[in-house]
Amino acid sequence: MSAPSPAQLLDARKVIVCCGAGGVGKTTVSASLALAAARRGKRVLVVTIDPSKRLAEALGVDRNPPEPVALAADRLAKLGVQAPGSLSAWMLDPQLVSDTVVRERSRTPDEAERLLTNPIYRNVSAMIAGMQEYTAVEALHAFVGDDQYDLVVLDTPPSRNALRFLDAPDRVGAFLDRRIFNLFVPGEGGVIRRVASRLIEKVLDTTFGEDTRRDLQVFFELFSQILGHLNKNQHDMRAFFQSEAVSFLLVTSPAREAVTEAFFFEKKTREELGLHLGGYVLNRSLAWAADLPMPDTLRRPVDAPAALGRALGRLAPLAQAEAQLARTHADLASELRNRAGDHGFAWVLPRLPDGAGALEALIGLADALMTDGLAASPAGGPTTA
Amino acid sequence: MRFLDRRIHLITGKGGVGRTTVTAALARAAARHGRRTLALEIGDPDGGYSPLGRLLGRETLSETPARLSQHLSVAHLWAPVGHEGFLRSVLPGGPLIKSALKSRALRKFLDAAPSFHEMGVFFHLLLLLEATREDGQPEHEVILIDMPATGHTLALTGLPDLLLGLIPRGPVAKALRRGQAFMNNPAQAAAWVVTLPEQLPVTESLELLDGLARTQVPIGGVLLNRYPDDPFDPEERAALDAFMAQHPAQGGLALKRIDQAQGAADRLRAGTDALIVSLPEVWVDDPGPVLEAQLHAAMRRTP
Repeated sequence: MSAPSPAQLLDARKVIVCCGAGGVGKTTVSASLALAAARRGKRVLVVTIDPSKRLAEALGVDRNPPEPVALAADRLAKLGVQAPGSLSAWMLDPQLVSDTVVRERSRTPDEAERLLTNPIYRNVSAMIAGMQEYTAVEALHAFVGDDQYDLVVLDTPPSRNALRFLDAPDRVGAFLDRRIFNLFVPGEGGVIRRVASRLIEKVLDTTFGEDTRRDLQVFFELFSQILGHLNKNQHDMRAFFQSEAVSFLLVTSPAREAVTEAFFFEKKTREELGLHLGGYVLNRSLAWAADLPMPDTLRRPVDAPAALGRALGRLAPLAQAEAQLARTHADLASELRNRAGDHGFAWVLPRLPDGAGALEALIGLADALMTDGLAASPAGGPTTA
Repeated sequence: MRFLDRRIHLITGKGGVGRTTVTAALARAAARHGRRTLALEIGDPDGGYSPLGRLLGRETLSETPARLSQHLSVAHLWAPVGHEGFLRSVLPGGPLIKSALKSRALRKFLDAAPSFHEMGVFFHLLLLLEATREDGQPEHEVILIDMPATGHTLALTGLPDLLLGLIPRGPVAKALRRGQAFMNNPAQAAAWVVTLPEQLPVTESLELLDGLARTQVPIGGVLLNRYPDDPFDPEERAALDAFMAQHPAQGGLALKRIDQAQGAADRLRAGTDALIVSLPEVWVDDPGPVLEAQLHAAMRRTP
């Protein structure tokens, strides 16, 4: 199979996962992909963790609702989505999802309440390593096999490690190592275990005091039980991630460092997780500006004021720098294409004018995705007008 | 309060604004002023990629500061170092500390327990701050930290408060208070928000400044990165706009950026009383040297 166009990918997949380092515009790219699919008549859900207020406002949905919210008809009309296409968004607050999971998975309502009111849980469950990623996978799991949506686009949590999301099950697995957590929970066991238990208890009592140690024990006991239930879902998801129904996109910004980092993560996923990326998205590219003429080659009107001559002289170095930047972006795009090879894709999305509202940005990027060139200039063009 | 007189600088800001580049340039500039400077990033437990290391010429970093030049070292903050440090400081000597440090179970617990990773990072930082040379002078006179994404920054700066809520007494609480007193002292510490002169980054920086103020970390200021120079007088600009409207050409984006930058800077000034330092737009592959020169000069006078 040769590299799919965005349209082919949106039509063929059930799930698209957008990965990438923080600050590359992952959330906007996810929402634009979802919009582009909805405009093609798909029923689409976009899931984002901890999204910006701005995107929620653009879509006309609340942040942190308990379940996905379908966009209102007038909003869909503004975005150019027509039936049977539809677009829903779920903007997740990690704490809220975690609380929901606790309520659903605890053995008894009483245990759920004990955990929810535990001071350790209340203060730090959102900070547990891998918890947000875990939440994302859990959210996704609920929609796999559900035919309510043709496509789910998942925006992964911002993280320094672009692909941490993929090994969340292993990371949170540290919690599930019952041999470890048993040590903190008083109970029976062999001599060695009892000795280790006492040691840890003593260290914790000395360090934190008895109350905190007891809170920790309750937290560990109840929380790891819940995660034990979830682990099976994560296992199923790992297999699902390797299927044809899913495509992973790595979003990057047009900077040397960002692209180097993207390559690093591509290699790591391939070698360590056995997962293959569908392709790259180079976001905010100015490559389209490379074809514009230099200002000093333009013919000036005969009656041009003297100020124009001076201004064009001052503009020259800025124009040269801009041309250089456009060439750099074009080079990065071709590097990504080479790296993607025959089967992967490297799409280029334009940098939209600063000041474009979130709604305009979504529409602009969805348009760009459906343009075959993919590097077309954004609406309005590169003029000063 | 000059930049160089403070011991610790937290360089924060959203991804993509050039935070790591600015951190590296600040570190080089401080070292050129002859201060023993340590540049830090927060070690990723998954290991591997070090953006700060790369900019300073090291593929990977370790928890032991690596000397790059006479006055400049680089390392990462590594939670297990902090864990060991605080265990050593709170446990009585003898068999208990020995078996505690040897216990794999305890290590695993400290890795897995929520917020203990951040706590380890915090304690490692405290160890580096308090390290002294034989003459009693600080081992690292100026410490700069490339702070990760916004949410993590607030998690770390807010950590002492959070933990003190959970653990109000005992040796850990004492150490946390010591760290907090340091981090909240404007004569010793400052947080710098790196941002771009664009609409969205400015909005997010104002939010970050509010968040930092709530965690009581003193604000050093805002570093407005990639601020474009405006070389035109009004007459020239008017002539240019009229001409370029008819003839799209290279340089058009630069003009837009100049206007947007001025608008964004105005909004920033209206939204905060913090010091704002503009850093030049540098159109080359490696902005490091130009930034460094600018920051080197600014350090003499920056309040």
